[in-house]
Amino acid sequence: MPELATVLAGLTDAFTLHNLLFVLAGVTIGQIVGAIPGLNILMALAIAIPLTLTLDTLTAVAFLIGVNKGGTVGGAIPAILLNTPGTPESAATALDGHPMAKKGRPLKAMKYGLYYSVFGDISSDIVLITVSVPLAMVALKMGPVEILCLMIFAFTIITGLVGNSMVKGLIAATLGFLLAAIGLEPAQGTPRFTFGMLELYDGLPLSAMAVGFLAVSEIFHQIARSTRAQSGAATVSMRSTDPADRRVTLREVLANKYVALRAFLIGTVIGAIPGLGSATAGFLSYSITKQAAKDPESFGTGDPRGIAASESANSAVVGANLIPLLTLGIPGNIAAALLVSAFIIHGIQPGPLLFEQQGQLIYGLFGAMLMANLCNLGVGQIGMRLWAFVVGAPNTVIYPGALLLCVTGIYFTEGGLFGVIVMLVSAVFGYLMKTFGYSVVAFIIGFVLMAQLERSLLQTMLITDSNLWVVFQHPIAVVLLVLSAVSVLYLGPKRKGAPRAGSEAEVE
Amino acid sequence: MTDFRPSRRAALWGAAALAALAALTGAAQAADCPEGFPEKPITFMVGFGAGGGTDAIGRSIAAAIEEQQGWDIVVENRPGASGGVMAAALMEMPPDGYTIGMAGTDTVTVNPYETADSPYTHADFDYLGSAMQINFGLVALEEKPYDTLEEFIEYAREQGRATVSVAGVSQTVAVRQMAEHFDVNLVPVPGKGAADALQQALGGHVDATTQGSQHVQQIKAGNMVQLASLIGKRVPYAPDSKTLIESGMDVSLEAHTTFLVPKGMDAEIKTCLAEAIDEATQSEGYAELMEKFQNRALNLGPEGVEEVVARMAAFYEEALSD
Repeated sequence: MPELATVLAGLTDAFTLHNLLFVLAGVTIGQIVGAIPGLNILMALAIAIPLTLTLDTLTAVAFLIGVNKGGTVGGAIPAILLNTPGTPESAATALDGHPMAKKGRPLKAMKYGLYYSVFGDISSDIVLITVSVPLAMVALKMGPVEILCLMIFAFTIITGLVGNSMVKGLIAATLGFLLAAIGLEPAQGTPRFTFGMLELYDGLPLSAMAVGFLAVSEIFHQIARSTRAQSGAATVSMRSTDPADRRVTLREVLANKYVALRAFLIGTVIGAIPGLGSATAGFLSYSITKQAAKDPESFGTGDPRGIAASESANSAVVGANLIPLLTLGIPGNIAAALLVSAFIIHGIQPGPLLFEQQGQLIYGLFGAMLMANLCNLGVGQIGMRLWAFVVGAPNTVIYPGALLLCVTGIYFTEGGLFGVIVMLVSAVFGYLMKTFGYSVVAFIIGFVLMAQLERSLLQTMLITDSNLWVVFQHPIAVVLLVLSAVSVLYLGPKRKGAPRAGSEAEVE
Repeated sequence: MTDFRPSRRAALWGAAALAALAALTGAAQAADCPEGFPEKPITFMVGFGAGGGTDAIGRSIAAAIEEQQGWDIVVENRPGASGGVMAAALMEMPPDGYTIGMAGTDTVTVNPYETADSPYTHADFDYLGSAMQINFGLVALEEKPYDTLEEFIEYAREQGRATVSVAGVSQTVAVRQMAEHFDVNLVPVPGKGAADALQQALGGHVDATTQGSQHVQQIKAGNMVQLASLIGKRVPYAPDSKTLIESGMDVSLEAHTTFLVPKGMDAEIKTCLAEAIDEATQSEGYAELMEKFQNRALNLGPEGVEEVVARMAAFYEEALSD
């Protein structure tokens, strides 16, 4: 355990007005970037890193942490207000957040999102601060065999996202699998479906695909639906006379405490395992919550539990992702990898010696993380009113404006026109899928999970010498497989017996 | 799979920040350049994403050149296909000295022989120099019952097989060649990047791993031991671990961070740029970065890089032909 003096010295370093202002600036930038579909937080981090060169180490890292945390909160805003999530992880938030907003309660939906997001974030930060070392050791035990079984489990639960028609949902997910095959195949590096284009070697760019399928297709959908008469109106009305529609009471927040707690646990565990990421956590949590509920049919109609499940889980990933980074030097995702480069530029080598050599700095970083969470709450409260005002503009302004931001954002993020082309083609496919009732969300999550599943399967085959019975020597893997079987046998029929209406926001 | 490409805009911002720094410090030395060159900003096309190791080197060298020569340099990221996207784009550029590519030697020595899609080979470029050699090592968890390559090979022989997590084709080839030389079954397990490969080894899921930089901290912390140095010489952080050559193999894994330009550049401009890069690799700022990377600046010069690239390309052409 670290000495108390180190901890206190670190926290004292963190809690200065100077640092607070930088954290506040970081959170504000992060929320704005996160809220604009087409821009993403990784781009914001990459831009911010060179700008922090002249700052001292702690201030620089605190600023970047602020950007990262702010972005996670901001991502929920377009998902809730316009149903145009800019990232896969906020797509789960849109499933219930947008219906709630359309019922005339946009501020309430955003507040739910903000509170559960900050809850997940603070809780996972506390886990990081207190038990990161043992948790990292457990996470290391999750090898290819365990990850493979986790992916199988995830697929069995994802059926909770498929929408009204199971067949159409599975077709959409399968299409996602197939598109994940594009790029270099992991075993021998043989190009698949690349048609000689080097740009496709690393697979279809996820950010362009996600923005195209999730956000731009929705923009097309709204433009196509609008008639001359309604085109001047706003999608989401702010005019509600009932003050209960604008606020969220403590009682309402606490009503979903178990949902939020479970979501935070899922997010923390997934986050602590390097390489999985917040999209997986958000969807897993949403699906589990929906399937465990007595009334799964209410999900997708603006149920606060849906927002709680998604937001707590994807925010919990942000703190937990630093666990493998700070204890082992392994970045858990791209955002963490960018933080590594910021550390290195400032002369700090992340790795197993970090706590020992830089204890004071690490506790300073923890202090900054807690400050960032509080700033998130404050900036979010003010920001949501601003966003609500912005989307109060007529549709004829909002949707073309959002489209312009998506195009320019992806042009910058992907470094050229290739990403924009991928985004627009994805949007057309997404629009057709929505029109014919195929779940775009099932498609994108299939795409995200398949790449991981394939790699884990390959690694498992190589490590076990293609003897899959070896799985039974891995207790965690066996538990996950049993859960998968339970999920298919028990939850499958239960769903079939109760066809629901409007189980997904975009299927109207 | 969250593979986001960092942006070109980031590159521009970075360049702007570095340019501001350089403006404060002013010009100092000057390479031997033709009259009037450069008359506009020079672009560094980095073949990897912003925030990575190659990117950091590119930005550091660019900053040093701006300071030493008083030129303007814009750093641009063109990630994809292990530098292949950048190399394919660079090949189409005019060899006027205003576009300089940056990548690992693997981009030109391995990629062209890995697939038929590659539009270029190493012979399509001229080389201005290099900045750093990557210190590849074969490492294993400390608690494993082997501390040297020989003991590891013996272990693999007893067990019938041993797994080695790798990141990249050149490392896969190195593992296969070790297996062939010692006639044991070594199975390369491809990871999603070096961090994933390291994680497999730290979790005990594989028996060893090949690493380019992240293993140094693990060795210093006592978590891992280096079984062999995969480059042509021993490394300072593990002086007792032998090279493959010392163990009787005729193999080394040699990769440098290099500067390349389209073929056919005017000799005077080429000399000018090569001198500027050489001066930059000797700068104090770059030395600091290398210290942070636990490495050293190493510029082989235009002829040196040419020689390494030709040798390694011939090696991989043969190794990957079957």
